[in-house]
Amino acid sequence: MTFDHAPFLFGPALLHWVLVFGSFAGIVFSVSVLIALGVYGASGPTAVMGRVWQGLHDFLGISPRRIWAIALLTIKEAVRRKALFVFVVFASLVMFAGWFLESDLRADLQVKNAVSFALTTISWLTLPVVLLLSCWGLPEDIRLRSIHTIVTKPVRRNEIVMGRILGFSIVASLIVSMMGVVGYVWIRRQVPNNAELICRVPVYGELSFLDREGNLTDKGVNTGDIWEFRSYVEGGTRSSAVYKFPMDKVTDNVRFESRFEAFRTHKGRIGQSLLVRYVLVNPTKGLRVPLGSFEVAEFGLNEKDLDRQISFFDEEKNENRTVDLFDDVVDQNTLTVEVQCLDAGQYLGMARPDMFIRMPDRSFVVGYFKAVVGVLLLSIFLISIGVTSSTFVKGPVSILLTFTVLLVGQGFREFMLKLITGEQKGGGPIESWYRLITHMNDTLQLPDNFGVKLMQSIDNLFMGGLWLVQHLIPDLSYFVMSPYVANGFDVPWSTAMAKCVAMTVGYLVPCLLVGYYSLTLRELEAK
Amino acid sequence: MIEQLTAQQRKVAYLIGIVVLMVPIILLGMPATDEASSGGQLARLRQTHDLGDSSLGKVDPTSATMNLVLLGMRGVAVNLLRMELDTQKDRKQWAQMRATTESVILLQPHYIQVWRYLGWNLAYNVSAEWDAVEDRYFWVKEGAKFLMQGAEKNRRHPEVYWETGRTLGQKIGRADEWKHFRKFFKIDPDKDRYPNGPDSDINPEGKDNYLVAKEWYQKANDAEEQHEQHIMMRALFRSYPARSQLDYAEALQKEGLFDETTRNAWSLAYRDWVEGFGKMVFQEDDFEIYLEADAKDVDQIADTSKVDRPLVERAIDIHQKVSNYKFWRTKAHAEMQVNTQGVHRELYEAEQLFKKGDLEASQEALDSGLKRYELMLETYPDLGMDDNTLEEGLWAVMLWQKIYQLKNQIQPEEFPLKAIWEREAGRIPNIQQDFNRKFGPSS
Repeated sequence: MTFDHAPFLFGPALLHWVLVFGSFAGIVFSVSVLIALGVYGASGPTAVMGRVWQGLHDFLGISPRRIWAIALLTIKEAVRRKALFVFVVFASLVMFAGWFLESDLRADLQVKNAVSFALTTISWLTLPVVLLLSCWGLPEDIRLRSIHTIVTKPVRRNEIVMGRILGFSIVASLIVSMMGVVGYVWIRRQVPNNAELICRVPVYGELSFLDREGNLTDKGVNTGDIWEFRSYVEGGTRSSAVYKFPMDKVTDNVRFESRFEAFRTHKGRIGQSLLVRYVLVNPTKGLRVPLGSFEVAEFGLNEKDLDRQISFFDEEKNENRTVDLFDDVVDQNTLTVEVQCLDAGQYLGMARPDMFIRMPDRSFVVGYFKAVVGVLLLSIFLISIGVTSSTFVKGPVSILLTFTVLLVGQGFREFMLKLITGEQKGGGPIESWYRLITHMNDTLQLPDNFGVKLMQSIDNLFMGGLWLVQHLIPDLSYFVMSPYVANGFDVPWSTAMAKCVAMTVGYLVPCLLVGYYSLTLRELEAK
Repeated sequence: MIEQLTAQQRKVAYLIGIVVLMVPIILLGMPATDEASSGGQLARLRQTHDLGDSSLGKVDPTSATMNLVLLGMRGVAVNLLRMELDTQKDRKQWAQMRATTESVILLQPHYIQVWRYLGWNLAYNVSAEWDAVEDRYFWVKEGAKFLMQGAEKNRRHPEVYWETGRTLGQKIGRADEWKHFRKFFKIDPDKDRYPNGPDSDINPEGKDNYLVAKEWYQKANDAEEQHEQHIMMRALFRSYPARSQLDYAEALQKEGLFDETTRNAWSLAYRDWVEGFGKMVFQEDDFEIYLEADAKDVDQIADTSKVDRPLVERAIDIHQKVSNYKFWRTKAHAEMQVNTQGVHRELYEAEQLFKKGDLEASQEALDSGLKRYELMLETYPDLGMDDNTLEEGLWAVMLWQKIYQLKNQIQPEEFPLKAIWEREAGRIPNIQQDFNRKFGPSS
């Protein structure tokens, strides 16, 4: 498992959001003005401005009391619709899940399975419930005309949308937190006695490479991997991977954990893995501290503990020396570690997250409940989309729309990106059909004629639509934090939690606006 | 009547209806177990007429459930899973890839090529990606276990049995790491799960890998009697149990075992080859042949089937050549002799003594071994065409020459195997290269 997500930078993210949201709002406003001008003449733009002003007024004058009242009604409605029956399903799954999880696996794999199962179950049971509830609520109110009992009261439309979102979010919080607690107890009981529930806190560094002559490069050697995630250093040469870790705190010892890959160009010593060595470097002082070599545990963890006082043999001065890690080796709050392969003709592969400094572990419960919060944030995101879409379409369509957002956001964004960028061969939908019908595989060149050009032009329009969808729907895989916990890692704030919180809030604001105006403009008598 | 009932009474009535209807459903549709005549009426009918999954072995019930869930979109689901599997393979996410492999197989439990391909993928491709020998062995086992599972679910098909035999026999016995793998097969490196013993899933009785492979090949042959295989020519396919016994005997020799066990192994190999495989009947167009047929047998086949004698001879000759029948017969016969085992033992011991630096004793063993080697070739001249036998002889001559060099002595003009040395001069550079890599170049 690799976690190489870029950290979340609040400033640039906010700026980006303001730009996108501002542009979107600007386009909607301009189009509305133009349409109003065309339909109503000179009074049209004034009416649009009036709506905007009304909206501003409604949002500035929101009443928490009314929102809370609607939220309470929403909760009661959810309970009446037997949403909490989901606990029965969860309880049944939890009661019998142990029968179906393999118990003869390695202890760490059993932990992984149990944690993944608990978090995935919570997610899979919660999401359909909140999706159905949020998409079905308002359309049902409109259909049964019960919404008239609300809109005729001094309740603003934005308060209805907010109250709905809040109410459903509270229901989701209740469901998720209850399931989270039960799931935690279940995991504790499920894992074998010899297994450890851990929550590592890694500190990742920056990675660069030195080539075989010792020159600095961005990448190492590609040994033929299709996935260019890892770069390789050549053994027995000056080639090495250079990790630069931030070291702000002084501690008595430091633990390195790494996960490297080996690539052999010859059989070498069968029965012995490749030898790896760390060299600590202080470039300012010109100090190089080679640590003892070890055999690489491929696809497993290499652990190396380092005391503050390090004794080593200085090859240049030909003497034994002792240095202080923080006084002598760490340079400008940065610890530089060169990773070398000692076997000539063999290669060692690594990527940035393959080596980290392991800080004192957090309690497992911290990481676990962060992942549970991830499920809750995704639920709130879906509720926002569901409630908003239900303000302008009927229940089934709203469900379809929200489900599509979930599906695309969780699994198809990468594929769509490949389609848009042309990495995925075969062209757009019409070209694909053409190739299917004519039995042309995607590597064959299409003939150069008018028909093909027309076909590709139409495909480009589809691709434009796809581009829009790809940019509108966020990457929801960030919300799935179970891999961190299942693999024994804490869920980091910067690269995971912050992104999810920002994404939820970032979509909530436009959703409220769209929901408000849709409900304001909608004819509530229409069923 | 129904309208007159209360809601609760109606529910009870429905419940009773459900229970009553379940009785005929169970009687008719209960799935079969492994036991004969088990299951409901439909399952028994399927068994009788060899129609459904119930007669195909231990079918995972989830595969049927999955079909329902996917509403007939099995092909689409499999395609997606296969794409995912490829991505996971590219990204070296082996554990996830293993899980996806299981998912694919749940959807395609009776697609033989899928079992063969995915089993090979685990045992050969994934194992090669790992650096530690123990890890590589783990993945070879995973491949073998996967194929065993496939064989259980497809008992009628000989291909998966054969593939399992190949993984346990050739992959474990002929990989670069064969010495380690063969040891691990008897004493698994995962001491926590298999303390001081084999992995009971693949080797419950702690046997040699070739002997376990032989059992799987035999199962393949048994299945092949009922259902045709589509891997290779039938004569070759059916030779594998006997070939595995030959491999076993050869492996014992390669490991330096030259005692009664090895001779017995060769003896059994000879019997398997001649009396087992040699007496197997193969159908030609209008007549049946077997490979061990002598002139009298050929006459009898020709007379009985009313075909020309040369036609029968030609058919037997083709089958013998395809399976290298005569060579293996000669080889097995030669190797079960005391003299032949003596040759191997002395040449092996000579090399061990050489490694220890005891040049005198090594030279003595070589002199004796090479003389016996010549005697062996006189008795079995066909062995003079065997690559392994020749390599062994030429290697021994190189060792013999090396000892003379190290002792600073001029080697005699005449030396054992001189005739072969000169005749096989074309082979020498390659063997010499290996020899020099091991013992250093000639001065």
